[in-house]
Amino acid sequence: MITDNEAISACRAGDKEMYRVLVERYKTRAYYAALMYTHNRDDALDLSQEAFYRAYKALASFDNSKKFYTWFYKILKNICINFVTRKRTHNQVSADDENRPELVSSGLNPEEILERSERSDLLWKAIHQLKEKDREIILLKEFQEMSYQEIADVLNIPQGSVMSRLYYARQRLLKEVEYLNDER
Amino acid sequence: MNAKLACKDVRIKLMGLIDNEISGEEKEDLLKHIEGCPSCKKIYNEFRTLKKETKEMKFKKLPEIYWDDYWTHVYNRMERGIGWILLSIGIIVLFSYGGYEILRDFFLDPQKPFLLKIGTGTLTAGMIVLFVSVLREKLLIRKIDKYRSVER
Repeated sequence: MITDNEAISACRAGDKEMYRVLVERYKTRAYYAALMYTHNRDDALDLSQEAFYRAYKALASFDNSKKFYTWFYKILKNICINFVTRKRTHNQVSADDENRPELVSSGLNPEEILERSERSDLLWKAIHQLKEKDREIILLKEFQEMSYQEIADVLNIPQGSVMSRLYYARQRLLKEVEYLNDER
Repeated sequence: MNAKLACKDVRIKLMGLIDNEISGEEKEDLLKHIEGCPSCKKIYNEFRTLKKETKEMKFKKLPEIYWDDYWTHVYNRMERGIGWILLSIGIIVLFSYGGYEILRDFFLDPQKPFLLKIGTGTLTAGMIVLFVSVLREKLLIRKIDKYRSVER
């Protein structure tokens, strides 16, 4: 299997086709990451593709000692934030409700599926009630499945701080879930 | 360290435990503390349930049809990026040449002050670069703006 660094070296040497290795490897994660900002399938596809293009242009500045995806994620995040800010300014938010994550419910009966769907709604709503800083670290851990080291790289914080930031974010998430639950 | 502070430290470290980011002796110490501390145990169970639920939450899979052309779209952007740069340079060179031809008599007139020629030259070049930049931006925005047909 071709490693990320081998593919990057080949790209730097002018072999554009080798960039496909990286795109194929990370396109799903990139799409879901963009989806968390845009909540819209088409925008998430477009922005993740744009991020891959911009990362390709910036490959010369990539530090081989770092992980490609964490470096790429920062580029993607900036593109998504700019996009969302522009859309908010122009009042063009177009969120698709079906593009939110759901609790896996395969092999369950209809009643249990409904219950899990309601729980998914509640959790997703609670996550979005959090402040940006708390929401981001939870999304990086649970939906991008990043390790503490990767989160530290992405957020430019010491690895030791990841644990405490996650603790406070999850604590606030638990409170938010409880609050929303009581409201129902 | 008093018991209250120890509990606070333990609760933060619980994150490492539920995320499987700590191992060995530290893990054993934490588990031992949890067993002997009902309030930390309660919090641990709450976090563990939350972790289980958020971990199980998955985005719906995107139909394969959307992935089929994914690489092609990225590749096209990579190719077009170079195309845009060459196109912009080409237009700037041609327009600058055209501008020079139109103003040649002015530039070659020895009566005109040198500073005035420099000022006129840079002003013309600046206007051409700005024109190309705005033109390019308009074309790019038109390409990605899905709302361009919506009347405002």
